[in-house]
This record gives sequence, C-alpha cells and structure tokens, in this order.
Amino acid sequence: MDAASTAAAAAAALATPAPAPAATVQVPRGQVDLIDFIDWTGVECLNQDSSHSIVNALKQSLRDDEGLFLASDSDEQLLIYIPFMQVVKLHSALFKGPEEEGPKTVKLFSNKEHMGFSNVNDYPPSDTLELSSNHLIENKPLPLKYVKFQNVRSLTIFIEDNQSGSDVSKIHKIALYGTTVDTTNMKDLKKIEEH
Amino acid sequence: MVLEATMICIDNSEWMRNGDYAPSRFQAQTDAVNLICGAKTQSNPENTVGVMTMAGKGVRVLVTPTSDLGKILACMHGLEVGAEANLAAAIQVAQLALKHRQNKRQQQRIIAFIGSPVKYDKKVLETIGKKLKKNNVALDIVDFGESDDEKPEKLEALIAAVNSSDSSHIVHVPPGDNALSDVLLSTPIFTGEEGGSGFAASAAAAAATGASGFEFGVDPNVDPELALSPAALSMEEERGKARGYCKKGCRRYF
Repeated sequence: MDAASTAAAAAAALATPAPAPAATVQVPRGQVDLIDFIDWTGVECLNQDSSHSIVNALKQSLRDDEGLFLASDSDEQLLIYIPFMQVVKLHSALFKGPEEEGPKTVKLFSNKEHMGFSNVNDYPPSDTLELSSNHLIENKPLPLKYVKFQNVRSLTIFIEDNQSGSDVSKIHKIALYGTTVDTTNMKDLKKIEEH
Repeated sequence: MVLEATMICIDNSEWMRNGDYAPSRFQAQTDAVNLICGAKTQSNPENTVGVMTMAGKGVRVLVTPTSDLGKILACMHGLEVGAEANLAAAIQVAQLALKHRQNKRQQQRIIAFIGSPVKYDKKVLETIGKKLKKNNVALDIVDFGESDDEKPEKLEALIAAVNSSDSSHIVHVPPGDNALSDVLLSTPIFTGEEGGSGFAASAAAAAATGASGFEFGVDPNVDPELALSPAALSMEEERGKARGYCKKGCRRYF
C-alpha cells in the first residue's frame, strides 16, 4: 500500500512538475517546463510595447497574472528571441492570450540568432502553429514537430498576426515544454580502476 | 555608457553652401560630426560609429560602423557638396548598415543632420518612423539650415513615431553666432540618456567659459583676485595711456 501510494505520488510529481498556480496545465508526460533553462540575459523581443514587455509572458509569477501581458507596439507582429542555458529538446508549446488580440499564426525557428522582421520570411520555419481562440484559453500545450527541435540552443518565435487582425497583439503567457539533452552528470563519473 | 552602434547621415546637398552658420553650413556640420564621433567612442570604447552621405554623389556609406576615430575623421575629407538629399533612402541604408554590425549586442542609433528642405509629407515620415521603432532603432535629428514652415513639424512627427521611452531626440538649431557643435554639446544627442559623459561635460564647460564675453574669460564678480591679475592690470594701464593718462603722473612713463 505504502509503496504503491509513494509510486503514485512520484508519478504525479513527474507528470506535473509545474508549481501550484499552473497546476491546471496538463504538462505532457516526461517533459518539463523549460522556464528554468531560459538564459534571461539574452531574451529579446522586437516591437514590444515597453510597458507590456516580454517578461510578462515568460517569467514565472508574471505570466500567470492575467493583468500582465506582452503587447506589440507599432503593428501586430512580434519577434521573440529566447536563448537557453543548455541544449534542450522542445516537445510542445503553450500560448495563452485574449480571444481577439491573441496570436494566430506563430512561426518557430530553432537556432537562428538575431533575426529581424526583414529576414524572417527568408528562412523556412522549424514549425508553424495556427492557433485558434480555443487554443488560447484551454491550458493544453500544443505539440511541435519534435524531430526539428532535437538540438535547440535558442528559439525565435515570430508572431505573424493575431486572431482579430487588430493592430495590437497581446499574449498572456508563453510556456515551453521539453527535456534537456543528456549531459554528463559529474557525480556519476567513477574513477577508473588502476591496474 | 550605453553600448551603441551609430550611423551618422550627413547632408551634403546644395543647400549646405550657405554661410549662415560660420564658416559655412557644411563646415559647421563637419565639426559637429567630429565632436559626436569623439563623444560616442569616448563614452564606451566598444561603441562604433559609421558615416554616410545623403546627397552629393548619392546615398553612400563612407565608413561602416567602426570604433577607429581616425578612419571616421579621414573619410570626411574631400566630400563634395551638391544635389538633393534623399532622406528616406538614407535612413533605409543606415538601417541596413546597422543591421549588419559586427557586435549584435549594440543598440542601434541613427543621427541625421537635416539642413535642406524636407520634401516628404508627414504620412511618409511617420511610416519611416514606425519601421525604425519596430526594428528597435533610435533616431536623433539635428534640424538646421533651411527652415520652411512645415519642416520642424514634419521632423517632430517623425521623432514622435520613432520614439520609444525617450530614446530619440530632435534639436532645432537656428542660425546665429554660436557654432553648431557648441549648441549640440548640451543636448541629449551628445549627453545621451544618462544625462552626462565626461567628454561632453568638459567640452560644454570650455565652450561656456569661452563664450562668457568677459575679458580674459574671467568674471570680476566671481573671482576678483584673478581679475586683478597682471594681465588685466597691464591692459588697464595701456588703456589709461591712450586716454591721456599723462595729465596726472605721466613722468613715470617717460
């Protein structure tokens, strides 16, 4: 009984590693929220409104606050650059936003540094998501083309347009789920036996 | 100490031959550009500055953003004045030059010297401004030279479209005694957002004392001892001699 309950607890912990506020998100099995691996010093967002910046959509406590969101400035497009502290595999992504101004067409580029709006259409995206208003409110991460995101050092997210076609795009939350690429755990290294 | 890559757009159109800024508009502009380059590279050694022309032989990049001050100053030699300035194309080319900067961590800035009339209407300028804002490029404008009725408004509209959190500025410099570079020294274009850099502050102080209008640059109310220095006193004596000082005790001098 005891072993079973602890095993169930362990499985539950593995399946939902996200902290309590985001407990309603169904994190895919075996994946973790990659927020801990984001290199915050390199995060950039082009065309963001300075009072509604990218941290509102990415950072742990800010992204769950419905009052804080990322908004675009001159027009409805946004270009978000997220570098990671180590190489990761990306499994799925979750976008939350208002039904009208939330993102519609989202293009993801893996390992493309410093893109601008002018060259964003020069490269084929690693994946394209067409979000509907339902996607923006339900808490289910959308699966990506896993094979294209096996070796991700940085991710560029291009928000091309929004649901209603308005001049401003708003995003409440962006969450990325995946796993880290296996790296050597130095504690496991054992000294080679001398002969 | 902001890390910045700057492209300076020089107006070398036919309107720059005018002499309402001493010695000529073009020369005043060149001095100002030299000072700006110095200030930028001094405030942060990793800053880069590039220079391009808007008129003359056409919109050309003279030197791509570099931190080598000598190269920048050298390229300003032998520039020809003529033709019309093409502001829209120049800003586009400046954007491109900044986009391909070597150090991607630098903030992008364009400084445009606009001395000739602006032929675009407000809408076109606002579109240009929005595109700059979208690509996170700041814009500084030095409005001098020709001033028709609408030019200041059009340029203000352009800055309003580009401006995000006060990073873009415009300075209107009317013609007059003060050199273009002196007027610019105290503006945010020189001092940047933090409101001060050693170079700009010391240059501003030097310019201020030079223009104080007092003999020997000393205000007798501020520093009476210095005003009584040998230089000032002998000047007074000479003046007294010329006025017929001899009437009283002139024997001393003969």
